Amino acid sequence: MKEALDIGKGYKEKYGFHDEEKSVFKSKKGLNHQVVDDISDHKNEPDWMRAFRHKSLDIFLSKPMPTWGGKLDDIDFDEIFYYLKPSDHKGQTWEDVPAEIKRTFDKLGIPESEQKFLAGAGAQYESESVYHNLKKEWEDKGVIFLDTDSALRDHPEIFRKFFATIVPPDDNKFSALNSAVWSGGSFLYVPPGVHVDLPLQAYFRINAKNVGQFERTLLIVDKGAQAHYVEGCFTKGTKITTNPDYKNIEEIKVGEKVLTHTGQYKKVYHVQERPYTGDLYTMEFYGDATQKLEVTEAHPFVAVERERINERNRSWKRKWLPACELSQRDYVAIPIDKRIESSHQHLVTVPMGNGSHGYKNLVVPVPSSRSFFRLAGYFLAEGSVSGGHYLNFSFHENERDYIEDVKSLLREVFQVEKINETHHKANRGTNVVVCSTALARVFVALFGKNAFEKKVPEWMRWEEPVKQRELITALFRGDGNYYFGQNKHGRKELFRISTISETLAHQVRDMLLRLGTVSAINCQKNRGGNRKPMFNVCIGGEQAEFFGALVGTTVQHKLNGKKRATMFHIDEHFAYLPIKKITKRKVKNLPVYNFGVEGDESYVAGGLAVHNCTAPSYSTDSLHSAVVEVIVMEGARFRYTTIQNWSANVYNLVTKRSQAFKDATMEWVDANLGSKLTMKYPSIYLMEPGAKGDILSVAFAGAAQHQDAGGKIIHCAPNTSSHVLSKSVSQHGGRSSYRGLVKVYPGCKEVKSTVRCDALLMDKDSRSDTYPYMEIDEKAVSIGHEATVSKIGDEQLFYLRSRGLSEEEANSMIVSGFIEPIVKELPMEYAIEMNRLIQLQMEGSVG
Amino acid sequence: MPSLLKLDNLHITVEKNEIIKGVDLEIKSGEVHAVMGPNGSGKSTLAYTLMGRPGYQVTGGKIYFKDEDITEMEPEERAQRGLFLSFQYPVAIPGVTVASFLMTTLQSLSKTGNGRFTELRKNFRKNFKENMALLKVDPQFATRYLNDGFSGGEKKRMEILQLMTLQPQLAILDETDSGLDIDALKIVSEGVSNYLNPERAVLCITHYQRILNHLKPHFVHILAKGKIIASGGPEMALELENKGYKAFGVEEQQGVSL
Repeated sequence: MKEALDIGKGYKEKYGFHDEEKSVFKSKKGLNHQVVDDISDHKNEPDWMRAFRHKSLDIFLSKPMPTWGGKLDDIDFDEIFYYLKPSDHKGQTWEDVPAEIKRTFDKLGIPESEQKFLAGAGAQYESESVYHNLKKEWEDKGVIFLDTDSALRDHPEIFRKFFATIVPPDDNKFSALNSAVWSGGSFLYVPPGVHVDLPLQAYFRINAKNVGQFERTLLIVDKGAQAHYVEGCFTKGTKITTNPDYKNIEEIKVGEKVLTHTGQYKKVYHVQERPYTGDLYTMEFYGDATQKLEVTEAHPFVAVERERINERNRSWKRKWLPACELSQRDYVAIPIDKRIESSHQHLVTVPMGNGSHGYKNLVVPVPSSRSFFRLAGYFLAEGSVSGGHYLNFSFHENERDYIEDVKSLLREVFQVEKINETHHKANRGTNVVVCSTALARVFVALFGKNAFEKKVPEWMRWEEPVKQRELITALFRGDGNYYFGQNKHGRKELFRISTISETLAHQVRDMLLRLGTVSAINCQKNRGGNRKPMFNVCIGGEQAEFFGALVGTTVQHKLNGKKRATMFHIDEHFAYLPIKKITKRKVKNLPVYNFGVEGDESYVAGGLAVHNCTAPSYSTDSLHSAVVEVIVMEGARFRYTTIQNWSANVYNLVTKRSQAFKDATMEWVDANLGSKLTMKYPSIYLMEPGAKGDILSVAFAGAAQHQDAGGKIIHCAPNTSSHVLSKSVSQHGGRSSYRGLVKVYPGCKEVKSTVRCDALLMDKDSRSDTYPYMEIDEKAVSIGHEATVSKIGDEQLFYLRSRGLSEEEANSMIVSGFIEPIVKELPMEYAIEMNRLIQLQMEGSVG
Repeated sequence: MPSLLKLDNLHITVEKNEIIKGVDLEIKSGEVHAVMGPNGSGKSTLAYTLMGRPGYQVTGGKIYFKDEDITEMEPEERAQRGLFLSFQYPVAIPGVTVASFLMTTLQSLSKTGNGRFTELRKNFRKNFKENMALLKVDPQFATRYLNDGFSGGEKKRMEILQLMTLQPQLAILDETDSGLDIDALKIVSEGVSNYLNPERAVLCITHYQRILNHLKPHFVHILAKGKIIASGGPEMALELENKGYKAFGVEEQQGVSL
């Protein structure tokens, strides 16, 4: 297992369903028995499952649409793809998972954890995350944690024994639908007595247009076992870096790939421009004088706080910090893309002919060897093409070693036989010239024509470091120098590579990061006359020693009698650059850009990892209709936590049900944000004496959203107890309803149940309803029900504003406080995400 | 001494009723002013309006704070400039702890670029502990939800704790003494005295003279029927205590509270 980054893993999903739509098989739109057969065929399912699906489809077709709850008229069952197979080959192990989906499938996400002292309130995020995976020790204990399809295949007995026993297909129309077309989901079995102490996590994401998601989750916690399962659906992305051209943010288009904070390139699925009024922060940092970054105040960065003012940090604890919390000298982190995509050769196609007889394409194989990389380095530094036919390398006449090196490389790599040397007395120059139209065009195609446009082609950027090192070495020989100067602090020494191509300078910087060294880019703008600005990639301090070794120039360990030092720091995944200057200005209605990136909602801007702050929205309605079945056996304890933030056009119609047996405890923690309509009532059947059930539900309904949520508790045995706490918030005309049932069967004495539902209305356009059903068929019970509806009070708002909070902040604080009793039950890292989501909802910047 | 607060012929209307009918008042740094008056005289209206409570309309005159016209400013803008109101009836914010509320507030205030708040934010934890000790507030209050289930006296102490945390330049105390026993009154007054320095000022709105024994105002004003009908030195408060409002020509209304 690859070591995980400990930043923002929360946005990658272990069992997600996203990435490009590379489906090998996508069912036709619409639903009939043929589609069900296709699904079963493609999954290679046993006959009993096929029969089950067909039977379920009949039930689905025969059941009318529910008329209660929310408005379901807009769902067109014929416009939905019922099955989308994510890949033709399902990996047996992580190593077998196809590379392009591995990124999202093999990592478990850990969102940021919360600053402890002020849990729930601050805008500070601590990203000290724990890597949660199904650890080997759990496997050794017999824990099975798989996707549901694999579980059906690999554990058929236990699967068939429990599948659909808790939620049968005829339970409701949507459970029938799910039963007919289910795909994906999670399967968990915890053997007797086993305690799984870290939360097991699964993430879901709708990513293909029109694809309904019908995952099926089956969780079995055997006698005396304990576990906590977390299901998340943050509509958040990974960070994005745009390459190789370092585009301006407003030029980014949907479908392009950008670098994210995890050092990977991901696709942009959503671009948003919005007017922004407020503080705009401008940031400059040491290490790249060419970049100034302008961001809104809430835009978070991966950063490290400065420990001591005049000393470099000793520890490097990364956090997500919003721009407004960064100060001068704090460090911002640049993610290092360490992927390696190596090949033996690369084919370059160039047009040949002079046009009068037409062109024809010539394919030239370029070996991807260390020698070629060195030759490339020489070309990037000293090469040019003249007259369309001549490939030149210009050296000073006493750079004899380099001249001979280039000549031998040309012979070795391209089998060039005839190499000329021309000499220029005036500037004591020596040119190495090859007359070859093909070769000249290959070099132009690869590296650009003019010096200010020179760049390293994409494929060479992800090659093995040993090859890239050759390129850097030759580039340094040609365009590099060893600078030293004297200033009041003593002697100053630097390695420099100078180029007039800004792109190349950044590529060199990135390549050096891959090689383990941090450089700084500066820019000489006024060089006199019409000369173009010069970009210098500088390597100094302790990095100079490293770079010296790289290019074969040894430097002393000590400088001015002291150990060499730099202000930068680098580790396996990030380089850290101190902030030089951070200023802010007020702007009004300035267009700002943001985009959603698959996987994580972060991207790299100006080289820095920043976090996106919007949720995506999809252009067509999507249906999410999952079924979750949970069995908690005698003495076992299980908690199922969901935090969902669907985009605003999703119908989220989920059946969640559990059975708790003797002395077992089942807890649902259910947070619903986003979606067009959510209908979800997690239920607990208390089957035997001593069973205990807890439901915590929080719903947030924004504009045009309806959250119909709640819970059901069925007391089927005496001496059972339950507790329901529901909190709902409605704003901007949103509607939230609590729909709950407490049922006590006759003879179930000594039952205790308390239900409390609180609703908070943010404005007069919003709505809240409560539908508490009680069916109590036994007298010797204690049942409590309490419901409150409150409006955000002018008094509260004024009180908070009089202390200096803006109206928005005050609203947000009141809401955070309102849902605090539930948020505090979430694992730390989810609590912070939850608070952040709420904040975004309050700002109206999502969904 | 520079002027902190200046009211220039201030008229205030709440729900179409004119409550304050032309008040002039100037408070300079280092001064303690007391505004006394019978129920319904407009004391709390004046306090709320100075802090910018929505619905409290200034229908005439101006409010200047440090020579800046703040008449139309939002409450948070006034707070940013150094104005503070200790509420007569502090509001509960369930689910938000005292510590996180104050920290968030300081963060928000720091965002305005005022270095004073950035400093306060940096030293928050240390100051907060000290101030709690000074006000004899149990440290566990830091993690209790703001004013949620607090007794009247605890709420008033929380107001002064906030005052000491935010370090404004002008503190308006709206009946901070009401609901306090003798000991609590003494502690709260010590908190206010601790806050005071030559750059700061206090406007103490009260019904009773007793808090003034501790705060020792430089000026006392009597507000009745929306106007200041008399201004004088500290001796006036004693006179009022002994002779009642009648001596100043005011008929105190029925149902005097507290």
